Amino acid sequence: MDYVRKTLEQIGMEPDRVQMFNLSSAMGPRFAEIATEMTEKTRELGPSPLSANKC
Amino acid sequence: MIIADRKPLEEIQEMVENCEKILLLGCKGCVTVCNVGGLKEVQVLASTLRIARKKEGHPLDVEEKVLERQCDPEYVEQLRDSYDQYDAVLSMACGVGPQFLSEAYPDQRFFPAVNTKFMGGAVQHGIWEERCAGCGTCVIHFYDGMCPIARCSKSLLHGPCGGSADGKCEVSRDIECIWDKIVRKKMEQNRLEDLRILRAAKDWRTARDGGPRRSIREELVK
Amino acid sequence: MSDRFEPQILAFCCKYCAYAAGDLAGSMRLNYPPNVKVVQVPCSGRVDIIHLLRVIEDGADAVYVAG
Ligand code: SF4
Ligand code: SF4
Repeated sequence: MDYVRKTLEQIGMEPDRVQMFNLSSAMGPRFAEIATEMTEKTRELGPSPLSANKC
Repeated sequence: MIIADRKPLEEIQEMVENCEKILLLGCKGCVTVCNVGGLKEVQVLASTLRIARKKEGHPLDVEEKVLERQCDPEYVEQLRDSYDQYDAVLSMACGVGPQFLSEAYPDQRFFPAVNTKFMGGAVQHGIWEERCAGCGTCVIHFYDGMCPIARCSKSLLHGPCGGSADGKCEVSRDIECIWDKIVRKKMEQNRLEDLRILRAAKDWRTARDGGPRRSIREELVK
Repeated sequence: MSDRFEPQILAFCCKYCAYAAGDLAGSMRLNYPPNVKVVQVPCSGRVDIIHLLRVIEDGADAVYVAG
């Protein structure tokens, strides 16, 4: 995980585009929370310089 | 085995800067075992290079391949039909690989993606250490299986030197003084007297000092 | 409708923890953004550097492993 983040950093991409979370099967709400968090964070980072997503 | 480290990404990127299509060529020998140039490392470097170049809007086509060994002409030969389809070939093998490749295909360019360092082994997962300097005349039987040529900073045949302290070498606190270990082991085994024996000065001509070396096994040569 | 940026995010989820948590989130009728696409893996240990890199390479805006 750290290796990927470091690699992205080296080529000038935001390492925060790659994350790791720990959760158990009973953590339904946390699952939704993480998904929301990631979406918000990524929105802040903006589109990946590689993505075809233009909206 | 031969131990190598991946070159810094920047250096590799610079080598292939002007290329549009390259072959990234791994090796299933030593570099696979020391996790630097096998299938997995080929995939990771290839993907990283593609991401970096796509990001710059100057995409790089990276094909991935891994040869059984790059230090054997019969495997190097497997590129015969394809070697000229690339702007360059980036080899993840030890320094022998790109050289065997350019000898076989003089009209292609072969770049090294790793820094080849030494002969040694893994002392723990992720840490490799030097053990042999390929001096051509092995003497480790005099030293209870420890090589002062490769493992003493000064390659002393009679040691330790005055700089040995707390089992560490004076060259760096990160280097263990192999002579400290040799002496301790001789003491443990009541064979300290061995170290009184004067060893003749080493004939370095069998090492690299005698120029590039070759090995000829008459019975195998046709 | 807004024309705000809708990121494409991929989540590798362990079958036994995060994916199950995802199921639970579903049956609890919890909302989570449609931007996240889930890939089930037998164990998060299966996810390797190369999988993450390939996802980025193929244009995802972010990727995460949950397990
Ligand atoms: S004595 Fe020479 S051949 Fe033997 S281990 Fe040391 S460097 Fe290698
Ligand atoms: S301190 Fe030990 S290892 Fe270092 S040069 Fe002296 S004898 Fe060799």
